[in-house]
Amino acid sequence: MQPDVTDEQIVRRALADKEEFALLITRYERKLARYLERLGVPAREDREDILQNAFIKAYRNLNSFDPELSFSSWMYRIVHNEAMSFFRARRARPTVHYDEEGNTLLAEMKDDAADASAISDLRLSSAELEKALAVLPARYRDVLLLRFFEDRSYTEMSDILELPVGTISTLIHRAKRALRESLSGRITYE
Amino acid sequence: MNNQPRNPEDSLTKRVLEQIEGERVAPRPRWEFVLENWFFWTLGGVAVALGAFAAAAALFEIANAGWAFYAKTHPDLLTFFIQAAPFLWLIALAVFIFVGYTNIRRTKRGYRYPFWIIACGAVLTSIVLGTALFAAGFGQEIDEAIGDHPPFYRPVVVEEHSWWENPSRGLLGGMVVAVSGANDSFTLQDFNGSSWTIDASELSTTSLAAVERGGQVRVIGVPDPDATSTLEACYVFAWQTYGAHNPAPPPAPFAVIPPPNETIAPATRSDECKGIRPYGPPRAAPGE
Repeated sequence: MQPDVTDEQIVRRALADKEEFALLITRYERKLARYLERLGVPAREDREDILQNAFIKAYRNLNSFDPELSFSSWMYRIVHNEAMSFFRARRARPTVHYDEEGNTLLAEMKDDAADASAISDLRLSSAELEKALAVLPARYRDVLLLRFFEDRSYTEMSDILELPVGTISTLIHRAKRALRESLSGRITYE
Repeated sequence: MNNQPRNPEDSLTKRVLEQIEGERVAPRPRWEFVLENWFFWTLGGVAVALGAFAAAAALFEIANAGWAFYAKTHPDLLTFFIQAAPFLWLIALAVFIFVGYTNIRRTKRGYRYPFWIIACGAVLTSIVLGTALFAAGFGQEIDEAIGDHPPFYRPVVVEEHSWWENPSRGLLGGMVVAVSGANDSFTLQDFNGSSWTIDASELSTTSLAAVERGGQVRVIGVPDPDATSTLEACYVFAWQTYGAHNPAPPPAPFAVIPPPNETIAPATRSDECKGIRPYGPPRAAPGE
């Protein structure tokens, strides 16, 4: 690993020497595999296939990478689009995988609650949150995952999902409201 | 998806590099992406430019629909609006703006712009360019070159001619072809080519000036459902074409225009023209 070398520098090098591209794969494969798992690709083999396709696509389109974006956002976009193609091909509805980062989402929702005093704590099992996220429309699920599980900024999300920042903000607001409604009845109040 | 058999021991990096090597995958050249980006910008720009042509034609039709006389030609403003609105051009404008939007959205950073910014930008650009084209006379060119062709559509200007072929409502439009020496009548050739003898004895100086100037005119007269070749005129207005491509040179005047103080006072008007207003609803024809 060369932590002091930026992604953009590696991209420039990889255009001349494909072996350099390996550095980018090493940097992002775990992060992106976890993202795919959260998006709802449960099988490891499927995740690896999607990642392999995504990295090949990235290499083929390396000259289209815009250095004004972060390489990370660009790579997330490719993986996101590959995952969507995967779901379409399988005609499968993704099931979101909940992990500890989901607590950020719950904490945020608690902060956003109109009557914060009424919700002093949110206690949910991972299965309940997964179920609530699974019934949300795909656009809502995507923004919640990127924002609260992947910790992406609005600008990065705009670049990943190819939507204006204002739309991202609106989607997050609506998604949280939809999730709150979906969770109503399952939330434990103390 | 990958068709190559997977060795579970291989790392993702190894598999990707092997595939790059085995399938001779190479980065697409930069110029392809630059060209692609320019292609979408160009398509977007062309769509907005075509929108400007549609806007110019729409403005030409709106400007020449004869809004001032709607109460004479139509029962109410809504009916007039439905017949006078240039729907063909407005639909074309909307389509081109949508095409422009979808192409600009597909450019490199097009996704960053909200819909309303691109749409408003495209609409404003089309309208500003369309206004310039209209002012330069291209609105008429486009309207006449394209608007005449669709079988389901008749340009508003052509439609408007039919509204002024209605002597039973006292409305006639056409070309002044001759004026009598005494200025008490003139000959009008309507849009169908028929000749009319118009009684001008009740006309005010302003109306007479329009007659004497010649060219196309609108005649508002005494409604006569039986009229086939004569009409008593109460008002005559020059038929102006706004945004004409080649404005016709003013025709040679038929007579010396009398000074403006020689007007016919309302009190001296005949009973026939009394109560007929140029911009008000038509008076019912006798017997209607």
